[in-house]
Amino acid sequence: MSKITRRSLLSSGAAVGVASALGIRPVLAQHDPLYEAAREEGEVNLYWGSYEQKTIDELIAAFTAKYPGINVNLLRQASQTVYTRLRLELQNDAVQCDSLGTTNALHYRELKAIDALQPYKPTESAIIPEAFRTLDEDDMYHVGAISLICINRAADVKGPQSWAEMVGGDFAGEISCGSPAHSGDVAHWTVAMLAKFGDDFLRDFAAQNPKIGQSSVDSVTDILAGERTVGASAPYSYTLTQKAAGNPIDITIPSDEAVLNLGITGIPAKAPHPNAGQLFNQFLYSPEASAVLVANNWPTLRSDVPWAGDLSLDQISWYRNPSEGLDEAMKEAIDKWKNIVG
Amino acid sequence: MSSHSRADLFGLVSHNLPRWLVISVVIVTLLLLVAHPLGWILWNSVHDDTTQKLSLVNYRRIFSSASLWVPIVNSLIVAFSVAFFSTLIGVPLAWLVSRTDMPGRGLVRAMTMTAFVTPSFIGALGWILLAAPRAGWLNVGWQNLTSSDWPLFDIYTMTGTIFVCSIYTVPYTFSLVASAFDEMAVELEDAATTLGAGKWRTMLTITIPLARPAFLVGFILSFIQGMTLFGVPAFLLTPSGTRVVTTQLAEFYQLFPPEIFLAAAYCMPLLVVTGGLFWVRRRLLGRRQFVTIGGKSLRTRRIELGARARWVGFVFAMIVPVTAVFLPFAALILVSLSKAWGMGPSLDNFTLDWYRWALWENGETQRAMINSLVYAGLAATLGMILGTVVAFISERKLFSGAAILGALATMPIIIPGIVLSVGFFSAYTRPPFGFYGTSMLVIIAFVATFLPIAYSQATTTIKGISADLERAARSVGAGEIRAFLSITAPLMRTGLISGWLLVFIPIMRELSVVIFLVSPQTNVMTTLIYNYKDGGNYEAVAATSVVLLAGTLVIVLLARLFVGQGSRRTRKIQTMEENS
Repeated sequence: MSKITRRSLLSSGAAVGVASALGIRPVLAQHDPLYEAAREEGEVNLYWGSYEQKTIDELIAAFTAKYPGINVNLLRQASQTVYTRLRLELQNDAVQCDSLGTTNALHYRELKAIDALQPYKPTESAIIPEAFRTLDEDDMYHVGAISLICINRAADVKGPQSWAEMVGGDFAGEISCGSPAHSGDVAHWTVAMLAKFGDDFLRDFAAQNPKIGQSSVDSVTDILAGERTVGASAPYSYTLTQKAAGNPIDITIPSDEAVLNLGITGIPAKAPHPNAGQLFNQFLYSPEASAVLVANNWPTLRSDVPWAGDLSLDQISWYRNPSEGLDEAMKEAIDKWKNIVG
Repeated sequence: MSSHSRADLFGLVSHNLPRWLVISVVIVTLLLLVAHPLGWILWNSVHDDTTQKLSLVNYRRIFSSASLWVPIVNSLIVAFSVAFFSTLIGVPLAWLVSRTDMPGRGLVRAMTMTAFVTPSFIGALGWILLAAPRAGWLNVGWQNLTSSDWPLFDIYTMTGTIFVCSIYTVPYTFSLVASAFDEMAVELEDAATTLGAGKWRTMLTITIPLARPAFLVGFILSFIQGMTLFGVPAFLLTPSGTRVVTTQLAEFYQLFPPEIFLAAAYCMPLLVVTGGLFWVRRRLLGRRQFVTIGGKSLRTRRIELGARARWVGFVFAMIVPVTAVFLPFAALILVSLSKAWGMGPSLDNFTLDWYRWALWENGETQRAMINSLVYAGLAATLGMILGTVVAFISERKLFSGAAILGALATMPIIIPGIVLSVGFFSAYTRPPFGFYGTSMLVIIAFVATFLPIAYSQATTTIKGISADLERAARSVGAGEIRAFLSITAPLMRTGLISGWLLVFIPIMRELSVVIFLVSPQTNVMTTLIYNYKDGGNYEAVAATSVVLLAGTLVIVLLARLFVGQGSRRTRKIQTMEENS
């Protein structure tokens, strides 16, 4: 069960404050039949890889404040790990997951193909940014997080202004990156780079002698440690959170488009607490959740709540991999990465 | 049937019944704990990940793909190197601490145990801060001192990986060998001295050969550690693109769709390697006698090293404490006391908030710490009981084919944790068990995974106890079980407590075996810390690592105190006997 801390109470208070300032009136939880059904279930098991620990903890605290009486059990592991866990549960007919949240759209396409998801229509779906309103025509899965991949850089360095400049030769020995074989965000970034620039991008990238880690956030760690000054493939929210904590790091939104990767969420068909799962997933579109996301530098999932720094999707030039053929594109990108980058 | 022969039969049955009851319970337990999950891994290995149907495609793929053999070769290089260096350092270290008058023996023993309780992936994080080629604090210091353009160390290499694995594996060898030295009686050494051998000759011809079973077990366990460690190669070898077995396995699981069945098949060659090692051990030790505990006195005597050699020994003995504890934990503590670790150490950046968060605000850390200690304590106790009984049955050959039990008890150790995790999941999630999400499943997984260490330690201890003592008890009417409980088990006491620590500590360090088994309620510290690291929260990682180290150390020191008191009581009794 998630514990309510002083920090979470402050977040909840901030949520109410931000919502009031924006003139957004939260739906009263007491009158919600879904809440009543979820409260009867009593608990919800979240298997989430999207959002780092602090953000998801605060989302849970805000959820618990809004919907008392529902215990939230969080299993936060890497996206692929929680997905493999759910697959094992499905194979052994022991599903415990009520809400899956990962950074790889392919997970949900496979789950849908084997009838392992249950459909639901979020009550506030009209408030989701239009581009992500209908990810699946059968409403089997929905957007759960927006991850924007920009260029990270040490605060005292100008760094490249575009992906093309990053691999142009001026930053040889300065670049750090995660691995597409280990991180969904990095895999999406690699697919996007190949789509935009072709195989030459990977060859030029490899020629810069980049330091390759595993997770998408490893490049931020390398910049903070002083091991490298430029990072590719880390979510901008994480970098900005580190900056807000006082660390000497910043982001550059590349002129040749940031890469946008969606965190997706769905409810397993055999979820033991499906109503509570749906209630949590819907909560992500609430003003309270948006306030937590703003506080943690994550893009909000509501089109009427601007991000931290008053940014919004329509102010940023971004690129998202098309879902058609994504499966093959990911495999090809990982193979090419292994052959070219190593 | 006459009343006489009926009484004979009754006597025969009642004499053998306890023995066969115990043996039956042990066989069933081993089948459930070990054969059952391993069977699932074998079953998985002959299925196709794509079609989910029976197939040998995984084995065909492994044997025909050179790229899949490279990680196995790399792992063998790491494992042999780690075993070599752990033995090279661990054996003399144990001898210096247990059998000489080297100064600071207590400090070295305590610090080596501290290295033991440190999960090696946390040590690797510390060493990244110290020896990353460009920004590692040691390299920066070196370059400032010498104006050199080149770093002194590069931790992101095979050498760096072997170094970090070795310093956190030395304590295995050290503990096993020190325990053997501590237990060793002086009669044989006295005999050699009486026959004119000097102290060094006595050490080389008597003391060290007698401890050979412990060396070999230490070497094998170190080798297996080198094969199965995940965190260190994942952090240190990924930048150079060097894959080992465990990182290759992680990749099988990370890919979409995950190749779970291929991962199971990929572990099978490892079983052959380990089987070979234990076969070599059996060949080397099988027919020789290593009895060091007879019915007579038990008191070790320390060798006087001489003024200069004492301090040379002390400097050597500080290698592990300095490299595995002082340096990496200094780095981690500095990070844990920082508001933002990228700002570097300064008064403005100082905070205790991460500790307050870990100890008071974060319910997950508190629950995981309690879970880790409770699970490790219970699993180590159950594992030692089972391992000791299996070792006794196997060593005293209580039935023909008893050695098979020993072989079964040894098998889980070579299967990397992430694959074992899937085996336990498959074995215990389905009916009639339905243990998924419970503490029971986590404890079962820990007992089975670390049973080989319990068994090996118990075997080493039993090898040192003469069966004559049990025979003496039997000859005065004690039953087999009573003889074991009243004679053998008490004599094994110190060895068993050392063994308990040898199981308890690796459980506290274990990262991957429970990765698919823990639930939010049953999460443990290592998986929690790894997740924090995965989320990039280094200050939280550092603070929770220090908390984990402190919690584990408290238990270890209590256990050592217990051993110490036991030893003192033994010596007191002996002194009283000698005086009388």
